[in-house]
Amino acid sequence: MATNNAAALLIITPFIQARNVGLSFEPKNRQPVTALSNFNLEITKGEFVSIVGPSGCGKSTFLNILLGLLRPDTGQIELDGTPIAGPGQERAMVFQEFGLLPWRTVQANVELGLELKGIPATERAARARELIKLVGLSHFENHYPHELSGGMKQRVGLARALATDPEVLLMDEPFAALDAQTRDLMQAELLQIWERTKKTVLFVTHSIEEAAYLSDRVIVMTARPGRTKDVLKIQLPRPRDYEMRLTPEFNDIKAAIWNTLKDELIDRSGDGA
Amino acid sequence: MALKTIYTKYQRAILGCASVLGSILIWEFTLTYVIPLNPFFFTKPSLIGVAFKEQVIYGALWGDLAVSSKAFLWGFSFAILLGIPLGALMGWRRRAGYTLDPFLTALYASPLVALAPLIIVVFGVGLFAKSVLVFALSVFPFIFNTFAGVRSTDRLLINVVKAFGGGEKDLYFKVILPSALPYIVAGARIALGRALVGIIVGEFYAASEGIGYAISRFGDTYRLPEMFAGIFVLMIAAVALTEGMRKLEALLAPWKATQETR
Repeated sequence: MATNNAAALLIITPFIQARNVGLSFEPKNRQPVTALSNFNLEITKGEFVSIVGPSGCGKSTFLNILLGLLRPDTGQIELDGTPIAGPGQERAMVFQEFGLLPWRTVQANVELGLELKGIPATERAARARELIKLVGLSHFENHYPHELSGGMKQRVGLARALATDPEVLLMDEPFAALDAQTRDLMQAELLQIWERTKKTVLFVTHSIEEAAYLSDRVIVMTARPGRTKDVLKIQLPRPRDYEMRLTPEFNDIKAAIWNTLKDELIDRSGDGA
Repeated sequence: MALKTIYTKYQRAILGCASVLGSILIWEFTLTYVIPLNPFFFTKPSLIGVAFKEQVIYGALWGDLAVSSKAFLWGFSFAILLGIPLGALMGWRRRAGYTLDPFLTALYASPLVALAPLIIVVFGVGLFAKSVLVFALSVFPFIFNTFAGVRSTDRLLINVVKAFGGGEKDLYFKVILPSALPYIVAGARIALGRALVGIIVGEFYAASEGIGYAISRFGDTYRLPEMFAGIFVLMIAAVALTEGMRKLEALLAPWKATQETR
């Protein structure tokens, strides 16, 4: 009976739940900016969710709150029923500008999280090699970041985030700095890795196509102050491949996201004029 | 053809040596054939060579060099040990920076060599006073360059280490110091020059041994070739130290070194 209840709870309680999250910044000598207000979000375990929205709508801010680097002014976020109070092992971020330590080799960069967790050297070296292999960078262990291309750098970023085996992978426009072809390649590899590791992924992007291709659900945010405008379920079968992007169904999905997002973009440009 | 390829390959070394050798030859030639040499007021390379050989191979310059090195090592080591932590603290802790800034800016800008008489009055003549002078002159480049290096630390990297659960100590040792290291080494090169000035001035003022004392004594007694021999020893030491610093940088900051050669 008790186990049944627990099982029922697991289904009802979302893995990540954000309620009424709001945050304002007060930049020096400027008007305070409300980045987020009344932002709500629910994600189930193992889900791939993307957030799209106009620039400055607070989507990266939300990711940083979830990561534990920023504290919201209002509302709360729970991960598996526990409020988030700071950075934690169960979450890891892949950063837009890679965030690799230039004085560390690929191997040492991937080991960073394990090192900070206090894992013994031999164990973390083995684990790092495993992850480096997973992202296809074997033989580059001893290279420094400046010797790598953008795509390779982000593979290191991904390996580093996965190394500590987090339950939630936060990705802040991870492929925005890459060229179009590398980007397509990285998306396909991310899907493969996600299908293998079954992480919960929260993916922030500017690209409608990227969001549609990768996600189970796409959250469209309003212009600042950001809140959820609409949530679209992407009904494409998995595993997905590149050809799927050429189908009419895929275009319909993109059009649906675009139609939701459009007004926010126009509103914003109207503000600026 | 073959000669030409050898030349293009070693262009830098060949031109460098040629200019040095050429200067020496012109100096020697001028004072031998153009202007008659008055040995009280000037000297020429051949005489310096003889003096150099005597002083370096048989003479007391080694002893003098050892004496000066001691003061250099003490003063410079303490400058590193105090300057880097202080600079890091000032760079990372805003209030510490504000508090210490006026003193340090004033002291760094002033020609601290002017303190030499005071230091000698307070600490007397000898190793300790010279070490203090070396320290006073060379500590500021360490403080300021560490400060600048810490201030230029990429916020993103700080956030990365925080996000992976790093604490204050991790931020210092895994991000702030490595990122400031190239600045610190650049500071060390400036400090090196200032430290040498400290030694020499200290020994000019009041000393009974040391390379600065040797140079000043030879000068006072019009033994110009010997004086120049002392100056060359100093030059060689300075170049060796600077080169050593560059090697150290390559060792401590391999990511930087490989970047430069590309």
